[in-house]
Amino acid sequence: MAIPLLSVRNLTKRFPITSGIVFQKAVGWVHAVENVSFDVFPGKTLGLVGESGCGKTTTGRCILQLYRPTSGTVQLEGVELTTLRGRALRTVRRDMQVVFQDPYASLNPRKNVGKIVDEPLAIHNILAGAERRARVLELLDTVGLSAQFAKRYPRELSGGQRQRVGLARALALNPKLIICDEPVSALDVSIQAQILNLLEELRGRLGLTYIFIAHDLSVVKHVSERVAVMYLGHIVEMALSDDLFANPVHPYTFALMSAIPIPDPEVEETRVHTVLEGDVPSPAHPPSGCPFHPRCFQAQEVCSQETPELEDRGGGHTAACFFPLDRS
Amino acid sequence: MAVAERVHVGPQLEVKDLQTYFYAREGVVHAVDGVSYDIQKGETLGLVGESGCGKSVSALSIMRLIPDPPGRIVGGSIIFEARDLTTMDEKELRKIRGNQISMVFQDPMTSLNPVLRIGGQMTESIRYHLHLSKTEAEDRALGLMEAVGIPDGRRRLRDYPHQFSGGMRQRIMIAMALSCDPHLLIADEPTTGLDVTIQAQILDLMKRMQDKFGMSILLITHDLGVVAGTTSRVAVMYAGKIVEQATTKELFAHPQHPYTLALLHSIPRLDGRARDVLSSIPGAPPDLLDPEAGCRFFERCDRAEARCREEEPVLRSLEGDRHAVACHRPCNLGER
Repeated sequence: MAIPLLSVRNLTKRFPITSGIVFQKAVGWVHAVENVSFDVFPGKTLGLVGESGCGKTTTGRCILQLYRPTSGTVQLEGVELTTLRGRALRTVRRDMQVVFQDPYASLNPRKNVGKIVDEPLAIHNILAGAERRARVLELLDTVGLSAQFAKRYPRELSGGQRQRVGLARALALNPKLIICDEPVSALDVSIQAQILNLLEELRGRLGLTYIFIAHDLSVVKHVSERVAVMYLGHIVEMALSDDLFANPVHPYTFALMSAIPIPDPEVEETRVHTVLEGDVPSPAHPPSGCPFHPRCFQAQEVCSQETPELEDRGGGHTAACFFPLDRS
Repeated sequence: MAVAERVHVGPQLEVKDLQTYFYAREGVVHAVDGVSYDIQKGETLGLVGESGCGKSVSALSIMRLIPDPPGRIVGGSIIFEARDLTTMDEKELRKIRGNQISMVFQDPMTSLNPVLRIGGQMTESIRYHLHLSKTEAEDRALGLMEAVGIPDGRRRLRDYPHQFSGGMRQRIMIAMALSCDPHLLIADEPTTGLDVTIQAQILDLMKRMQDKFGMSILLITHDLGVVAGTTSRVAVMYAGKIVEQATTKELFAHPQHPYTLALLHSIPRLDGRARDVLSSIPGAPPDLLDPEAGCRFFERCDRAEARCREEEPVLRSLEGDRHAVACHRPCNLGER
């Protein structure tokens, strides 16, 4: 078995709900991420999928140490990140970069593209003068932008071009791991395909490892080798991409997949949709037991009392459920 | 169908050669440029396209909600039940808006007034159009809340919009849109921004409401998956024009316009194989500011030839009324 690039164990993040203006005290906790564990192997893509508020973005930020986890460990190549500070943390951050969702908000509007891509090199003091300028142009070329883009400002670019700039910036320090947080959800489909193809090409060419966070299952399935499905802060199911989509065993995964319309009227005509009732509960007041039990069509009494653990259902396909669906 | 007393024959809505332009300082934006479609009674027509293709402007034109200035309907007609909406005066329009034609917008948070209770907002148009008393209007609102699946209606009428989740707010918008038994419902990206399990609930609800009330629906969306499951016919828009129009099955099975074909191939499918290379469309849509002659897809098209640059293709029928395409070199015409 290969050695994982990244190991996350029992990661938990809670945000305080505070009351009071001068003397703030915590009156409750938002359970954003609860006891999440997974490994990411070099050169592979792990997809994190779930609906809004399921904790997928918080998980990504806890890995990057943009949020400090409440408990649990995050190890990049054996180095524990949660206890690192200052210079040591900055050095490690070279190895992990992020591409954000909103290409309009994540680029500084006052800097031109050349400056934006140059910034990581400046912060980490890598290369100088003509060499650094050449590196910036090389990076732009890597993501399919010509040298003339270096002089342009973000407002002059389309959404797809901005996302390419965000990617060039993430690539500047030759990172090992890139966390892509909803990188295509703000883009039109014809542009989305360009970016997805580019990500895949770069992974092959530069040997990158991705954590791909998205709410769109079709996109996650397309790019990921393995997929973890999150619900209300928990990973409820994790498996190889093709296996997960062919044989979902957790009722939530099943319902989520059933809710996604397939762009083919012949398929849609005969498809039976399992429509879940109600809304996702608030993570400030998570239900007892299994987080999914109030909306689950399989739920029985035990589901509201005990929390199921992730268990292997064969071939590394894990699911946290007392009454999993049959693998066909 | 529940509503049988309608006397009008012919299509519910007929949009003919509609042109809506915006007069900006830099020039004239041809947002909708000669668009024609019709919607039959009880039918759902899908209008698909990417951002900026003019699908929303075309819907706002039907409701005559284009801000003037800078926008104006400069040509064409919109015939709704034998009357032309483009020439109707404001007083007449108010009787139709929210009554015979109603609209559901994309963002349920910004389309509800945050400082008014839901009950007041729901009963406003009921009282205005149907001339009911406050209690009668509230009873009607209650019935609608129940129909769209909001429990505990009596109490919830006194709640404010922020007390509802996104999915619940969209249910309220649908209930409000249906409150006066509209003949036509325009749904502009009704599920965009909602989670997929909530999207499934809303689409399911719209289908049940159509079965119950028998209205026609114009569904505007960028999501081809949503179109496949809910519409009977589709019009594909690109850069202010309809480039292809067909029954939904026909369009997905035999796309003729290179843009439609490329669009279908660029979306990853849940039932497809993982990690295939997606076919992407190079470049980006053209600027609609004073557009040039010729086909607007010309620069991104892999089938383009010299004549596509000079001569604008017109929408022409291929086989009867089932399929129409605006292209000089449609895709699989020869192979059929």
